[in-house]
Amino acid sequence: MRAFEYFAPQQLADVIHTLSTAGGNARVCAGGTDILGRLKDGVDTPDKLVCLKTLPEMRYVRESNDGVRIGALTTLSTIEEDPIIRKSFPLLVEALYVTAAPQIRNQATMGGSICQRPRCWYLRGPFDCLRKGGAKCFAVDGENKYHAILGGHLCYIVHPSDSATALVALNASAKIQGSKGEKTVPLEKFFVGPEVNILKENILEDDEILTEIFIPTPSAGARGAFSKSRERQSYDFALASAAVQCTMKNGVCAEARVVLGGVAPIPWRSIEAEEELKGKKLDPKTIERAAAAAVRKAKPMTQNIYKVDLTRQLLSKSLSQIMV
Amino acid sequence: MPKKVKTTVEFEGRVSEILVDIPDIETPLWGNDAELDIVGHPIPRVDGDKRVTGAAKYTSDILLPHMLYGRILRSAHPHAVVKSVNSSEAEKLPGVKAVISAFNTDPIRWHGSSSLFDKTARLVGDEVAAVAAVDEETAADALELIKVDYETLPFVTDMEEAMKDTAPKLWPNGNVVGGKPSIYERGSVSKGFAEADLVIEETFRTQTELHTCLETHGSVAFWEGDKLTVWDSTQAVFNVRDALAAALNIPSNHVRVIKQYMGGGFGSKLELGKYTVIAALLARRTNRPVRLMLTREEDQMNTGNRPATLQHVKVGVKKDGTLTAIELKSVNANGAYLGGAGCGAPYREMYLCANVRTEEYAVYVNTGRSRPARAPGHVQGTFGLESMMDVVSRKIGMDPLEFRKKNYATVNQAQTNPKPYSAKLLDQLYEAGAKKIDWWNRDKSRNSGDFHSRKRGVGMASQIWGGGGGPPAYALVKINRDGSVNVLSGTQDLGTGTKTIISQIAAEELGIALADVAVDLGDTETCPFSGSSGGSTTAASVGPAVRTAAADARLQLFEYAALELKVKPEELSSRRGKIFVKSDPQKSLPFKEAARKAGNNMIIGKGFRGPNPDGYSLNTFGAHFAEVEVDMETGRVTVLRHVAAHHSGRPFNPLTMTSQIEGGVIQSMGYALSEQRVIDPASGIPLNMNMENYKPMTALDVPTIEPILLTQVDEHCNTLGGKGIGEPPRIPAAAAIANAVADAIGIRIRELPITPDKVLAALKSSVPSHKV
Ligand SMILES: Cc1cc2nc3c(=O)[nH]c(=O)nc-3n(C[C@H](O)[C@H](O)[C@H](O)COP(=O)(O)OP(=O)(O)OC[C@H]3O[C@@H](n4cnc5c(N)ncnc54)[C@H](O)[C@@H]3O)c2cc1C
Repeated sequence: MRAFEYFAPQQLADVIHTLSTAGGNARVCAGGTDILGRLKDGVDTPDKLVCLKTLPEMRYVRESNDGVRIGALTTLSTIEEDPIIRKSFPLLVEALYVTAAPQIRNQATMGGSICQRPRCWYLRGPFDCLRKGGAKCFAVDGENKYHAILGGHLCYIVHPSDSATALVALNASAKIQGSKGEKTVPLEKFFVGPEVNILKENILEDDEILTEIFIPTPSAGARGAFSKSRERQSYDFALASAAVQCTMKNGVCAEARVVLGGVAPIPWRSIEAEEELKGKKLDPKTIERAAAAAVRKAKPMTQNIYKVDLTRQLLSKSLSQIMV
Repeated sequence: MPKKVKTTVEFEGRVSEILVDIPDIETPLWGNDAELDIVGHPIPRVDGDKRVTGAAKYTSDILLPHMLYGRILRSAHPHAVVKSVNSSEAEKLPGVKAVISAFNTDPIRWHGSSSLFDKTARLVGDEVAAVAAVDEETAADALELIKVDYETLPFVTDMEEAMKDTAPKLWPNGNVVGGKPSIYERGSVSKGFAEADLVIEETFRTQTELHTCLETHGSVAFWEGDKLTVWDSTQAVFNVRDALAAALNIPSNHVRVIKQYMGGGFGSKLELGKYTVIAALLARRTNRPVRLMLTREEDQMNTGNRPATLQHVKVGVKKDGTLTAIELKSVNANGAYLGGAGCGAPYREMYLCANVRTEEYAVYVNTGRSRPARAPGHVQGTFGLESMMDVVSRKIGMDPLEFRKKNYATVNQAQTNPKPYSAKLLDQLYEAGAKKIDWWNRDKSRNSGDFHSRKRGVGMASQIWGGGGGPPAYALVKINRDGSVNVLSGTQDLGTGTKTIISQIAAEELGIALADVAVDLGDTETCPFSGSSGGSTTAASVGPAVRTAAADARLQLFEYAALELKVKPEELSSRRGKIFVKSDPQKSLPFKEAARKAGNNMIIGKGFRGPNPDGYSLNTFGAHFAEVEVDMETGRVTVLRHVAAHHSGRPFNPLTMTSQIEGGVIQSMGYALSEQRVIDPASGIPLNMNMENYKPMTALDVPTIEPILLTQVDEHCNTLGGKGIGEPPRIPAAAAIANAVADAIGIRIRELPITPDKVLAALKSSVPSHKV
């Protein structure tokens, strides 16, 4: 592990200051469950590590008229157990419940789970891949069982976050703080695919951090479900997942958000599936059509063809749960 | 002088004949009707409290004054000539005390014609140089400063590729170990196939499994003048001592190897490791103690594996279910250095069949070396064989369990003069297991899942293994003046409960309380020789020696008691803390009182393991029954129930036996469903050297495991009436699960692990049929 300077600021302004003067060579550390592994494995070698845990004001779940705000340092287990979240956003609770394992959820934070880096074994191994500024993606001709079937472009990582998948389905937005001030963007726009930036998964600039997640109050009749498939029942990232949030009016699906996880470089919103659902009765036929639409553009590689069927099935499963 | 005789011993399938003494102290068999107070009872681990409170010292807990930390630089290439190692930058780093490599040490022979730091690297992870520094971080930083000039060579990681003439060669004589397959034949398979009503062929594949010991491999080395002490996480302190002395060219009595507690070995810690020699060299060079524990990545990369196999199986069978021929052609990935690979033993031994042929290739590839892995060969082979038995029985329309019973073997057919099994109650295990899983009503299970998306099935498989143990193994029993007792034996407790069982045996024979016995193992200087802890042999090898030593000590103590009770020593016996006259039990003396009488007249009982019986094959048997549920949408297999019926003669301790069964099944579930080493084909670099992407099962994956222990004594095996259980439960579990999956979905998955991608692919491409 390369030596680095460690900062434990008391104020957000100090965090931003340290980041903005580090020339891109600083990383923030929240729960540390991802960043510490990267440092130890030598896949990330920053000069500075800025600890966020000493900031007092970023741990909360607050309800207001328009929705719920979650501070970036709130742990996943706190969110999972929060009564407001449990009442209004079972979709998020389901996603958290199948994230990693309780020990990690006690430590991992909202911000960290959204900003965590992909688990691609080439990215995390001794390979000079595109996402590290290198010349190629090694998964294309290599071991690509866990890689993307949608949205890949030169690089075929999948976004690892279950909570992000759920939050995009819930139409959440992200509050960002940087040296130029504060801004809020829809979470969906927070993530960027390799065609936009092959070096990172989100729009955060070097001097910016995520401070808060806002989830709008669901409209009346909203229902959500989350399904995830993995190879073992704990400590395992998604082979694929499907988050859906639908607003039902008179038995008809008035609004739908469908987001797929583990299959694309970003939490993958499937407009195609949503179109199949809108204005329709949620019956097995509609579900089948929507599920098929979701993977119609899938471009699997040599070892991840199974993800096409799997994704279709998981989406059907989530939609069927809403139907009942 | 005890009389010397020849006896046959078996270790992990290898049989040898050795000279052995016959103990002159008789310890009669503890038969089925023996009244035992401690042996056979569910005694909790004698050192359990130390293990769970952290008081137990593992190798990585050893902290010596001025200790340095060692790290190893490993080859980044699967095949390369190491042209030079430049360590000048590394040596300048503050805190670095020594850097060694092939270029500044004398060559030490290793793996035959290779050496400690071979100038040809043959796998990603081969040892190239090593550093000692004041802390681990500095040592790790120093590794990055060492410049190695490699000339890369063509390489091959796939065993089938490696067999082709065009493949890059790892060794001058080619990639097939020994230049040819190892062949076994009895009868004539061509005759057998001609006699068959049906000949069936199938191909099975198994993956490379990693031992994944919770405690990584490593050593602490410490020189006092010319005397070396090593703490090592090892299954074999004496193997390590002798090989280490030879490697360093010093006498064995200048080397002391200590292993107190360890976190698993599973066969990967049976020999001297390079890290141990490297620690010793670094310690000698720096004149300071050196601790060198491998990282998880290094451990997964280069400390051994269960080799991948390809098994072509051909079976001839008559309509009535009689097997007429079994043929196996297998390819086994040996790794870059000779490691031992082959999977034919179950094919040769498990079922009654006159015509059997196995032809096995072990192949050099530029990957980590194979090592014995908890039932080496048998785990791979049993998956193939027991899957095949399922296929065959279904093809001829016979119940898989009935089919196995029909071809029941009562003698060890693989021996030149087949001997009967000393105790084979597999038929009873079949019955007990079938009853527990409700085998005869398993159609009910198949139809009980939610029929569209989840299907259930039941499968079974059986197992043969050795585990009879044998000589040489020695023990000393010392009785102190307060009546407390020390037992010393150079065996080792891998975490399996050996210490507990030895305490039980000593206390039972002496007739005292378990609490009065202290056991010391794993020290080559203070303990007499015992063999390596592998092959499920430890309890049955060391146990009888401990018992004889205790009997010897007891007889010596009886001399003092006899004076006091005014009888002859032969008239005495002891039980529950009392020495008493056999014909008049009222006439007695507390054991502790007798010890006081002996005072400082030291009582040292010596015991050794006598010969194995002539005329019997010592084996262990088991039958597993699994019920699974397969999610037809996601391809995930969930094991709902796992019944594991075993017989190894007397269970010395039902608790430790049960925990061996549970651990074995859990490991096998990973083998069946999720564990698999992945190597990048283009670079030869392993991709999942961690427990994130190499996936052992978690607590949530494991159902309640239901062990069945048959307790009947094996009257022939040894004076304790019991054999080993370490490996048997690993053997049939994966096959039982695979057979259950085939039962559930009507499609057979012929390749492990049975991951969702394989299930989904199979569901997509095949038409389910219940003739799988
Ligand atoms: C064994 C294992 C299994 C796992 N399984 C799953 C799983 O099934 N599903 C899943 O979703 N995840 C899984 N994870 C990942 C886990 O969810 C993340 O490691 C965790 O959420 C990261 O949170 P943290 O607070 O520890 O982040 P850290 O490790 O502190 O940070 C993660 C990254 O985000 C950045 N960061 C952190 N906070 C902020 C912020 N406020 N603003 C900007 N950047 C920030 C850091 O610089 C770093 O790059 C698993 C992890 C492990 C180790």
